[in-house]
Amino acid sequence: MSRFPVLLQDEPKTPPAPGKKWQKVTVAENGQEVEKWIEVDAAATETWPARSEMRLLNHALPRVDGPTKVTGAAQYAHDMRAPGMVYARFLRCPKPAAKILSIDTADALKLPRVVAADSLNVERTSYLGQPIAVVAAETPDAAEDALRALRVEYGELGWVLTHERALADGAPQVFDKKPKEGESPSNRVAERKRGDRDASRAAVEAAPFWTEQIYSLPVQHHACLETHGLMVDFRGGTEAVVHASTQGTFTVHGDAAEALGLPGASVRANVQHMGGGFGSKFGLGVEGQWACELSKRLKRPVHLLLTRADEFLFAGNRSGAVQKLAGGMAADGTLLGLSAEVDKLGGVGSGSYPMQPYVYKVGQSYCAVSRVHTNTDSARAMRAPGHPQASFGIESLIDELAYAAGLDLLEVRKKNLEDTVYHRQLERAAREIGWFEHPHRSRPGSHQAERAVGIGFAVATWGGGGAPTCQVEIRIQRDGSVTTSCGTQDLGTGTRTYMAAIVAEVLGLPIAAVEARIGSSEYGSANPSGGSTTVASLAPAVLDATFQARARLFELLAPALQTQPESLRIGVDGLLDTGSGRRLDWKQACALLPAEGLRTNGQWKEAFQGRGVHGAQAAKVEVDTLTGHVRVLKMVAVQDCGIPLNRLALESQINGGMIQALSYALFEERILEPWLGAALSADFEGYKLAGTLEMPELVPLIDDADTRQVVIGMSEAAIVPGHSAIANAVHNACGVRVRDLPLTSDKVLMALEKLRTQS
Amino acid sequence: MKTFELHLPRTIDEALALLERPGHAALAGGQDLLTELKEHIATPDALVDLSGIQGADAIELRADGSLSIGAGVTLAELEKHAELARRWPVLTEAATSIASAQIRSQATVGGNLCQRPRCWYYRNEALSCLKKGGTECLAYGGMNKYNAILGGGPSYIVHPSDLAPALVALDAEIEIASREPRGARRRIALASFFTLPAEGDVLRENVLAPGELVVAVHVPAHAAGNWRSTYLKFKERSSFDWALSAVALVARIDGARIAEARVVLGGVAPVPWRSKAAERVLAGRPIDDSAAREAGEAALAGAEPLSGNAYKVPLTKGLIVKALRAIGGRS
Repeated sequence: MSRFPVLLQDEPKTPPAPGKKWQKVTVAENGQEVEKWIEVDAAATETWPARSEMRLLNHALPRVDGPTKVTGAAQYAHDMRAPGMVYARFLRCPKPAAKILSIDTADALKLPRVVAADSLNVERTSYLGQPIAVVAAETPDAAEDALRALRVEYGELGWVLTHERALADGAPQVFDKKPKEGESPSNRVAERKRGDRDASRAAVEAAPFWTEQIYSLPVQHHACLETHGLMVDFRGGTEAVVHASTQGTFTVHGDAAEALGLPGASVRANVQHMGGGFGSKFGLGVEGQWACELSKRLKRPVHLLLTRADEFLFAGNRSGAVQKLAGGMAADGTLLGLSAEVDKLGGVGSGSYPMQPYVYKVGQSYCAVSRVHTNTDSARAMRAPGHPQASFGIESLIDELAYAAGLDLLEVRKKNLEDTVYHRQLERAAREIGWFEHPHRSRPGSHQAERAVGIGFAVATWGGGGAPTCQVEIRIQRDGSVTTSCGTQDLGTGTRTYMAAIVAEVLGLPIAAVEARIGSSEYGSANPSGGSTTVASLAPAVLDATFQARARLFELLAPALQTQPESLRIGVDGLLDTGSGRRLDWKQACALLPAEGLRTNGQWKEAFQGRGVHGAQAAKVEVDTLTGHVRVLKMVAVQDCGIPLNRLALESQINGGMIQALSYALFEERILEPWLGAALSADFEGYKLAGTLEMPELVPLIDDADTRQVVIGMSEAAIVPGHSAIANAVHNACGVRVRDLPLTSDKVLMALEKLRTQS
Repeated sequence: MKTFELHLPRTIDEALALLERPGHAALAGGQDLLTELKEHIATPDALVDLSGIQGADAIELRADGSLSIGAGVTLAELEKHAELARRWPVLTEAATSIASAQIRSQATVGGNLCQRPRCWYYRNEALSCLKKGGTECLAYGGMNKYNAILGGGPSYIVHPSDLAPALVALDAEIEIASREPRGARRRIALASFFTLPAEGDVLRENVLAPGELVVAVHVPAHAAGNWRSTYLKFKERSSFDWALSAVALVARIDGARIAEARVVLGGVAPVPWRSKAAERVLAGRPIDDSAAREAGEAALAGAEPLSGNAYKVPLTKGLIVKALRAIGGRS
């Protein structure tokens, strides 16, 4: 999204208020980045300490909540229990589309321990696995039995599950929409176009080296270890707590209150820990709506966490893509033309795609993006929505053209990347992966080698800027204890840790002296965590709150110390009065506070954060040409992010991105039975995730040459290029170009067989 | 899952008496049956838990060089047995290749041999395939990447056991207990325990009758000589997965030549697929790639790939090359 955000407004024409200026910021709405104009302070204020002076930040900090997680003490929504609680389950429609003629709940309600069974009143389903009824029972098993006792009468409807079938003549239509005059109905809906089609095509075909290929990617699942859902603790009183597995504490409680029929202030959302979201967990969802509805009706707590099959069928996914790309290259490697026609496969939804050319500069380009509907659940945002798809297309095409022109794969990339940050990052990745010692840098290795080793590259971009969304409170007690709180949530990126570290850094305290509290709608507001916007929205507010807390501390202590606030300093040696030279340690200083201690609230400061990150990755693979097995030997990622708040957490995010991309490259794929209309990969046997034995040597490198003294989110960027680099490395190793992911051994072996027969 | 009664017999006879009753199923390690229950693929009225039966979990190495493995021995016990690893590497390697350490600690030898197919049409409750009493094998004209290239029809499942090819390659026998006449035991070649869908009951994968129980497998002593063996399993995902193809190779080496060999393929047919043609090619040949390539051609000569699994032909040939190299490199 970063290069191609949805710009909602032009810069406002009205002048900003005195002391303010207009600033474009990015906010995440439903996990998608959109840009808005806001007023921010025009004048510079005190900002982040210099990196060289940092004691905690820019260091490797073990996460403060690590011990509670590894000991199992951390409570997730799945773990929540309450007296009288019941378990709810959905019945999924077993067909890709059907009329629901009737649902008879009588038999289900007669079963022991079953307390509710209801139709969702869906008249026509539009996707495979759509929930159509819900049950609740005192045990999960009884709920499963109740589902099986529901009697449903289905009416036939036509459906399509694949791209090919969706576009076939006379294909059943996913949406019952009247076509425009003179047009026949189609599941393909044109969305966006950019550039001149004919001119781009002409530029491509006039180039000395050109090719046209189809690059496709399957639907990928978020595969969150904790499925979607929540436990609504409402027992018929005047208050409720919603324990939710969500990426947005504040996206849940308002709608939950409405569904429960309670005032908004009487419902609290609790998100202490959540087991992965990757863009799929915003808002109440159908699961939250029904948990609240049942809880309200039964006056009992309701536990409604999706089953794994539910998760695979109606909890969102990364849209698939079929990209027809034609590209032309000059003899010196310059990309002269690109024509891209892209179909997104987002089921009944839209899916994501950031347009082409992605990151690279091309002389003359054209890009048209359409969505092609199928009877599958709607795609949702997933870590860097659309970017991995676009990356795979352009990076594959560049390699194919570079080989045709006989050019070095690294040099050809630099040639077409205007931003020299990429040059620096690619060179570092190349050094680290062993590119300069690699024997085939401008033509692929031989398919006759039994163990063929290859290297591939790819780049990424992301925004990662923040917005004025977070209210952070800091409290200092008379006994010296310090808490910082905000209602934000931690998706696993280490939110608590950097919150505590920022406060501790400025106040000269050890990190353990500061307690970070998050995940409650009782605390200050926060944005949902989407689009890597959390850190750049939250960290500035924490820093501002800390500066304010320090100022307030000096104000309160100065009279007691018979000095001026301006004379006071604080650091690792405690409080110093520069006037008298008197020192107090932290506890002694805090003991002088009034009985109520102090509290301050911090706001977002534009100057504390930035936007725009770059990443370059390289992958080294070994292809066993007897079996088609691809083993990734090593991956290197070079990633910038402004100030590295916590190097350990950053490396962990970069590793996670590489791992998720490796899994996408080699295995992950939603598999649907196109003729019978069934899901064949709705579990972790059919939907394969990379495991421990697939893990290569992972080298996460924080790009310290990025000296921007601001905080920027980077987690999305880390997932963008890895699979493209792996696919390129496979081609580089043995000359096999797989243009449809995943790169499973059967495809690689069959392509090798083809090369063997040709030679 | 469907509610069931649980029986805990103490003796084989008690277990057999229970298993004669309709709707009673034997429960060993539960690694296959429990998933079938949870997914409503199997819906027995009662489970007969074999874990309380004494004496079914022994590995016996006899003085004459033969080996007996109780049906209740876990895969973990099998893979950790040092003497087995020394004398029958094919068995240890097969055991180690199965699933995950967690599953191997529970899964048993008997259960591994009797497990049901993994075909995703069979495992999908909503679909009625030939294996579940339906009228056609849905994989045949459907998504058949993981299905059979040899011995298929009318069902195209592949047998999921990794121990089976290894044990067949060792000429193992299987011991089956039944109640009538009281205490009757029969021993048959393991190779004839498994049935092709065209030959036996298409709803089953072996000859085990209701009321019968697998109690042990017996591996005969090798004839004198220098024996080497290996089990090479190719998984789509190395971390834990089923075989896309596997080769169990057992050979007696005479100098630099193969005196005799057993070649049994896994993951490509509805039964462990012994290739006598490949064995004939190997007999008397030096251990080299050309022998292996010819053996591969012979083994796959009758392969009839479906629309999505032609890759299994070159894959299996490649694995035969690797298997022969593996035993060539072993002393």
